[in-house]
Amino acid sequence: MSNHYLGDLLERVRKPARYLGKEVNAVFKNPGQVKVHLALAFPDLYEVGMSHLGLKILYALANRLPDVYAERVFAPGADMEEILRGENLPLFSLESNTALQNFDLVGFSLQYELSYTAVLNMLDLGGIPLYSSERKEADPFILGGGPTALNPEPLAPFFDFFVLGDGEEVLPEILREYASWKDKGRGKREDFLEIIARIPGIYVPGFYEPVYSQGNFSNMRPLKENVPLCIEKRTVVDLENAFYPESFVVPYMEVVHDRATLELFRGCSRGCRFCQAGFTYRPVRERSLNKLKELAGAIIDNTGYEELSLSSLSSSDYSQIEKLIDELQDQFQQQDVSLSLPSLRADVFALKLADKVQRNRTGGVTFAPEAGSQRLRNVINKQVTEDEILEAAAQAVKAGRSHIKLYFMIGLPTETEEDLREIAGLARKISGLRRTVKSKRRPFKVIISASTFVPKPHTPFQWEPQLDLKLIKERQELLRQSLRGVKGVDFTWHEAGMSFLEAVFARGDRRLAPVLERAFRMGSRLDAWSDSFDFSLWEEAFKKEGIEPEYYAYFHPETSAPLPWDHISTGVSKHFLISEYKKALEEKNTGDCRKNGCAGCGLENCPIQVGEAGCTTIS
Amino acid sequence: MYHYLLTFSKRGDLRFISHLDLLRTFVRSARRAGIPIACSKGYNPQPKFVFAAPLAVGIEGENEYLDLYLKEPWETDKISESLNMQLPAGLKVHKIRQVDLNRPPLSATVGAALYKVLFSPVSPDLEQALHDIISADTVLLERKGKKDKKTLNIRPFIYLLSMKKLEGEKGVLFMLLATGNKGGTRPQEIMSLLPLGDSGGRTKIKIFRKDLFVMYNNRFKTPEGLSPSEYLE
Ligand code: SF4
Repeated sequence: MSNHYLGDLLERVRKPARYLGKEVNAVFKNPGQVKVHLALAFPDLYEVGMSHLGLKILYALANRLPDVYAERVFAPGADMEEILRGENLPLFSLESNTALQNFDLVGFSLQYELSYTAVLNMLDLGGIPLYSSERKEADPFILGGGPTALNPEPLAPFFDFFVLGDGEEVLPEILREYASWKDKGRGKREDFLEIIARIPGIYVPGFYEPVYSQGNFSNMRPLKENVPLCIEKRTVVDLENAFYPESFVVPYMEVVHDRATLELFRGCSRGCRFCQAGFTYRPVRERSLNKLKELAGAIIDNTGYEELSLSSLSSSDYSQIEKLIDELQDQFQQQDVSLSLPSLRADVFALKLADKVQRNRTGGVTFAPEAGSQRLRNVINKQVTEDEILEAAAQAVKAGRSHIKLYFMIGLPTETEEDLREIAGLARKISGLRRTVKSKRRPFKVIISASTFVPKPHTPFQWEPQLDLKLIKERQELLRQSLRGVKGVDFTWHEAGMSFLEAVFARGDRRLAPVLERAFRMGSRLDAWSDSFDFSLWEEAFKKEGIEPEYYAYFHPETSAPLPWDHISTGVSKHFLISEYKKALEEKNTGDCRKNGCAGCGLENCPIQVGEAGCTTIS
Repeated sequence: MYHYLLTFSKRGDLRFISHLDLLRTFVRSARRAGIPIACSKGYNPQPKFVFAAPLAVGIEGENEYLDLYLKEPWETDKISESLNMQLPAGLKVHKIRQVDLNRPPLSATVGAALYKVLFSPVSPDLEQALHDIISADTVLLERKGKKDKKTLNIRPFIYLLSMKKLEGEKGVLFMLLATGNKGGTRPQEIMSLLPLGDSGGRTKIKIFRKDLFVMYNNRFKTPEGLSPSEYLE
């Protein structure tokens, strides 16, 4: 696409900066002069995708290789899509405006289930056949990685292969294999897939066929010899020396997280049982204080960002977090850089850290107790007590903070209405602090935000059904009612239909693929955006394909039953997941393995403890 | 604090970034350049960067102005050179001079902007329509706010409209329009009042803002002392 033409397109859309590219630190190469032309595709809008750390790491990593050109592609907004379809133009990359179909490889970032139809839309707009089996020699290879690739089955027929685990480990190997395959004059698509199927962490779904019996998944049958029966996710063992970008593309438009990101560590050892990231990013791997300071300095110098986010699954757990904050603040004194800490625990220590990093201590604080009662927090292994929450809240009130936001989940395993009333009880106690604690300033708000529990694969709750959709709505209502009359409380909740769909696809199998295609054809696009989410469209799509979504959302198998993602191993053993599941039902905690000793999750490459992992069932 | 007035241009594809995007881009470029930016006071200190008049998305700006305040004095050449090293292609600082700290930023005094609009094809009724606007006392326009619609008379905001036909169906229209804190109108609003195209096809329009003007002794002059007529081709 010529520059003139791009200009003409951009004249006609509402947010042209989404498609403009040309940002500071974007990489320019001549696509004709590299061996591998890779599209890093994010199935959501620019402002969402550009907030994602993984994409930035892979972009910088791939572009360091002289033979490789990695470009970005995002899902188009509705106005851009209309023009592209109306004028028969292909979806194009941001850097060189190359049509998606002209890339060698197109890698999708799979972050959430509700982005699946956006993937199909991007393939379609990019001029690429949706199904792997329909792609010809000239078509690119389509790969996917990220959290939901750990159960990729609903997407299996659309992808040529999946990358499991830390992308910076595997991507260079894929690029190298592709370059040498191209050097040898390319061959059949299948030949390349056979080569890369031998790379650990790569899953070629076309080489396997699911077998069902009596309506249930029974096993995964390999269609070729020599393909692995168990595909283990890859792990960067030495995060300290792993690649991390020293510069990020600086967007023109405001993106969701418009700041520099410093990843302190990967993994989390707390073991909250609902949390997929907590089980699939093990073990905890930290970067050293000096390394972080070095990276932070370079990133700020190269981007000019005014804010640096200290990012991790649970940043306050970084072993030297206070020291790190102090030293970074010293380092940045001249440059006016503020620090931010996402995802704080609900305790006084976390609040102390928040106070430390925020110049403005009158804004809000957010905590995530997840469940209202101690009993239920034991079930999910969220180790925070009501006293701790109240103490932190009291301090926040004292400091004059404008609001305290608390995240909860509705529909957690074993939840009763009593647990929900305890959420209201907690809200009441926090609200009551206005009488007992002297606040520096104004009255404060308590915001109760309730999402819906979604059972995720590779967690101890992978055998649990989601709570019935009707009951979820009833319980949202119950919670709303019981919060009524509590002074200064706001209640926000998630669209239950979205969580239902998320549950269906999270634990889905390959039989769901036609539903995705159908929903895409019927117009489903950016479903993660509540304003474009249309549940009735999905109901229709399921009906037309003769599939009952309830089967998947409410799936409640024995722990001995085969699961559609059993051939994929995250390194955590199934025995451990089962024992955690049992302990959950017995309302027993499992300690943080970094503090209380190894919990025996089975990881092979754990610096704390060596175990034995692998897949438990495959025939 | 030290006060500087910068003249810069916003060209090519960078016309697609919004006013806020431009501010962010300038601030971050200055930060990368290590320029000691002064910040406003308060809980949420903001860099003291004041643009003279926001430029709408899609319009190229040839002489745009920025009042910049620094904590430490820097040589003007050093500021513009180090900024130009960091600004993305499409943004460029052309001139810079130090001005009195007490002088209000240009945004407080700017009164008019000169636009050049290239378009094709030229409708046969265009000349008459322009004439009608110029000779009218009131020109009513409906503006859509966030919630409601308002009709207002934009005639007082139109200082000059001058059209020339060019080769090959093309036309060029110069507009001197009021801008700034006393109200104003935008070139797209004027275009919306004009007959465009011929047989209902899309008219290709490209808009440039040539310069901004301040009223000195009853005459419009750019901060560099040029008058609007010097731009009319
Ligand atoms: S192997 Fe032990 S120490 Fe390592 S992550 Fe698993 S439970 Fe924790």
